[in-house]
Amino acid sequence: MKFSFGTLLKEALSGHRGWPRQWREPEPKPAYDVVIVGAGGHGLATAYYLAKEHGIRNVAVLEKGWLGGGNTGRNTTIIRSNYLCEESEALYEHAMKLWEGLAIELNYNVMYSPRGVMMLAHNEHDVRIFKRHVHANRLAGIDNEWLDPAEAKGFCPILNIDSRLRHPVLGAALQRRGGVARHDAVAWGYARGADALGVDIIQGCEVTGIRRAPSGEVTGVETSRGFIGAGKIGVVAAGHTSVIMAMAGVRMPLESFPLQALVSEPVKPVMPCVVMSNTIHAYMSQSDKGELVIGAGTDAYVSYSQTGGLHVTRHTIEAIAELFPVTRRLRMLRSWGGIVDVTPDRSPIIGRTPVPGLYVNCGWGTGGFKATPGSGHVFAATLARDEPHPIAAPFTLDRFVTGRLIDEAAAAAVSH
Amino acid sequence: MTDIRQLATDWDAIVVGAGPAGLAAARVLHSAGLSTLLIDENPAPGGQIWRAVTSTPLLDQSVLGLDYWAGLEPVRGAIGSGLAIATATSVWSADRGGQVGISCNGVTRMLTAKRVVIATGALERPFPVKGWTLPGVLTVGAAQGLLKSSGRVFSGRVVIAGCGPLLWLYAAQVLRAGGTIAHILDTTEAAQFRPASRGLAGFALSSYLAKGLALMAEVRRRVQVISRVTALEIEGQERATGVRFEARGRSGQVAADVVLVHQGIVPQVNLAMAAGVPYRWDAAQLCFAPVADESGQTPLARILVAGDGAGIAGWEAASARGTLAGIAAAQALGASGPVPNGRSERAQVRRKLRARGFLDRLYRPADAFRRPTGDVIVCRCEEVTAAEVEKGIDLGAIGPAQLKSYTRCGMGPCQGRLCGLTVTEMIAARRGLTPGEVGHYRLRAPVKPITLAELASLPADDAAVRAVVRN
Repeated sequence: MKFSFGTLLKEALSGHRGWPRQWREPEPKPAYDVVIVGAGGHGLATAYYLAKEHGIRNVAVLEKGWLGGGNTGRNTTIIRSNYLCEESEALYEHAMKLWEGLAIELNYNVMYSPRGVMMLAHNEHDVRIFKRHVHANRLAGIDNEWLDPAEAKGFCPILNIDSRLRHPVLGAALQRRGGVARHDAVAWGYARGADALGVDIIQGCEVTGIRRAPSGEVTGVETSRGFIGAGKIGVVAAGHTSVIMAMAGVRMPLESFPLQALVSEPVKPVMPCVVMSNTIHAYMSQSDKGELVIGAGTDAYVSYSQTGGLHVTRHTIEAIAELFPVTRRLRMLRSWGGIVDVTPDRSPIIGRTPVPGLYVNCGWGTGGFKATPGSGHVFAATLARDEPHPIAAPFTLDRFVTGRLIDEAAAAAVSH
Repeated sequence: MTDIRQLATDWDAIVVGAGPAGLAAARVLHSAGLSTLLIDENPAPGGQIWRAVTSTPLLDQSVLGLDYWAGLEPVRGAIGSGLAIATATSVWSADRGGQVGISCNGVTRMLTAKRVVIATGALERPFPVKGWTLPGVLTVGAAQGLLKSSGRVFSGRVVIAGCGPLLWLYAAQVLRAGGTIAHILDTTEAAQFRPASRGLAGFALSSYLAKGLALMAEVRRRVQVISRVTALEIEGQERATGVRFEARGRSGQVAADVVLVHQGIVPQVNLAMAAGVPYRWDAAQLCFAPVADESGQTPLARILVAGDGAGIAGWEAASARGTLAGIAAAQALGASGPVPNGRSERAQVRRKLRARGFLDRLYRPADAFRRPTGDVIVCRCEEVTAAEVEKGIDLGAIGPAQLKSYTRCGMGPCQGRLCGLTVTEMIAARRGLTPGEVGHYRLRAPVKPITLAELASLPADDAAVRAVVRN
C-alpha cells in the first residue's frame, strides 16, 4: 500500500482497520545472491538500495534479535555533516542529501527534523578546532557557522553562558541543516521498502559461522536456523562486527565500547535544537514526546555489555545540569546502552575484505545513525559492483596497512 | 529524616527494605557484629504490612489485628538496637559489585557493601479492567496504607472488587474502624476450588485456615458479598460512579463513590532485575521471581534476596527468610559475633510455602482480569490500550522491549511496574509461549526516577574520576 493523504483519510474514516503489515516474516530460502548480516538501519538501507538501484533482489537480511533493535534503536538520532576531512565531508554530506528526501523516497515519514545542531566550544582548543571545521566545511559547500556565546544562547535560550561555569561556553559551531529523525521509523521505512522489492528480512536468526570454499571465497552462513547459501556476504553488525568477521578469520581494527543514553520525563517544548559538547561527552535534544534525550560518553574499557558505567552518566549529567539549569529538577526515567565499534582513526570501514565475497561496513563509532542512508547507498554499490563506490573508496580496510588514515577524532564529537 | 551525607561509604552489609524480611536480616547481621545499614523509602521501618506501626492513630489493637501489631517489637527493636537505619531514602541502583545508589531529600550517594540483601517486598498485581484509571479507583493496598498511617476510611459508597486474602483483611479492618463497605464483588473463580483443594491438607495445618474463615465470616455478616464475578467494568466520566459486573451469568450494577480493586500481590523485582539477578517465571503465582536458593543467595555472590520480593509467602515466612538471608550473609563474611543456626526458620518457611499452595490456586486471578482486551488501558502512563498492545504483537513484536518501540507501552514514569506483567502475559498468550520465554522489560538503574540534579550531585570517587578523565 502506498501511503498518501487519500489512504490516510480513508483509514481515518474506516477505523484504521485496513492498514496492512509493513513487511513479511519469511522463512529463509536455501540460498541468496547476497546475505546482509544485521538488520539495523545500515543493513536494511543496504538491502533496499541493492534491490532498488542495482536490481539485486534475491537478498536476505539476517538479524539475531529484531530489526532496528540494536544501535539503530538505541542512539540519540543526531544528523549532521560538519566533519573535517574531505573524505568524510563527502560521505556525511551524501547521507545528508539523502535524509532531505528520504521520507519521499521511502514513502514513509521518518520524521527528519532539521532543527539545527550546535556544538559547544568550552576552551581555547575547542574554539580553534571548531573554527577550522567551519572554514573547512564552508570551502566544501557544507553549511556550518560560528556563533559567539550570546548568539548561541539566542539559538538555544535555555543554555547557560555564565563565564564562571566549570565548562564555560566560549562559542559554538552551528549546522542549521543538522537535526534529528525518528530512529525506529528509519529502520521501519527501509524494512518496508526493501521487503516490497522482494528482500527477505529474517529476524531471530543468529549467524554462528561463515562457510568458505577451499579456494577461499564465501559460500554462505551458518545460522541458528540452519545453513543459508550466499554469493556475497555483507557484514553490517556494528559492535559485533569483530565477532562475525572472526568467523571468517578476519581480524578487524575495531574496539567495541558501551555507549549510554537516557531520557527525562516529558515536558513542554523547551529545547529547539540539538546541543552537543565534545569536551564533556554530552549531547541533548528534545523528543517529539517532550522527553529530553541525553547522550553520554563511552566507557573507558571495551565490553559487549549493553549497559555502561554509572560514573560516565554522572559525568555527563553534571555538565548538563550546569549548562541547562532548567533541567535540574527533571526526573530521569530510562537509560540504556548500545555497543559501538570504534576504529583507530574514528572513521568507518566500508568495502571489500581479504576474503573474496565478504564485505564489511562498520566502525561508525558513536555517530553511525546520521550516516544511515549514505552508508547503505555506497555499501550497496560496492557490493553490487565488487568495487568501491567513489565516496566509499577512501574508507577501505587496508588504510590501516597503508597508513592513509582519515582522522576524525575531533569531529566524532564524543571522546573515545 | 536521615542525613545521608553522614553515612559511611563502605559497609559489610546493606539491607534494602525495612519490612519483615529486611528487619530480620538486618537484625541478624547487626547482632553478628557486622556493619549494617538498613534502608527504606518510607518515613519509618515496617514495610507495607507494618506501615506506621509506631505512629498509627489506630491504637485499638483489635482494629488492625494481631498480625499488624506483631510488627511493633521488630520495628522498635531495630530502632533501639543501634542499627544504622536510613529512612525516607530511595535505592535507585544496585549492582553485582555491591555498589548501591541511594537518594534522600535531594542528596545522592553511592555506597558499597560486601553483601546486599534485597528485601523490596511485593506490589499489587495490576488489575486492568475498564475504568481502572478513573479518579476514585484505588487499590486495596493503597487504601490500607491510608488506614494504617492516618486512620482514614472512605466516606460514601465503597465497593471492593477482586480476590485474595488482603481484600478480606482490609474489609474487616475498615468495618472494625467504623467504616462502611457497600459491596464486595468477589472474583474468585469457582473452577479453582477443586484444584486448590489438593493443597488443602497443608493449608488446614497452618494458621491461615482459621484466620481466613473468621475474617470472611466477620465481613459477610455486615457487607453484601456478590461472588462468582466474571466481568467488571468501572463506570464514570470524570470519576468512578459505579461498577457494572457479571456474576453467575447475570449482569448487575452497583453505585459507588470509591472503588477499591485487588487481585493479589507479586514480588517487587525491579531492583534485583536491574542488578542483574536472573529471574524465573513462577507458574503457580503467575509472576516473575528472582532465582535464589533457600537462604536467598542469588547466583551473584554479593546479592541475596529475602521476603516477598523473592516469592510471595506472607510476613511470617518473609521474616524467616530475612533471618536466613542474614545468616547466609553473616556466615559468608565470617562474622565474629553470634549467628543463629536458622533451623526453626527453615521449618517455618517450608510450612508456610506448603500452606501457600492452596491460597495461590484458590485466588489465582482469572485470565480475563490478567489479560484485558479491547479499549481497556494496559499502560496507564502512556495510555496504551489492550487493543493497541495486541496489534503490536500481531505486527511482529516478539517481546516487551520491541513492543515499547511500537506502542510506547512501559515507557512512562512507573517504569513498567504497573503494566509489566500484563504485557508479558498478553504476548505469551498471543504468541503461544510461556511468560518465562517472553521475559520482562529490561530493567536498569535508575529503578526509581531520580532528578538530574540528584545524579549530578553524586560525589565522584577516585575510580570514577579515572574512568572518565583520560590523560
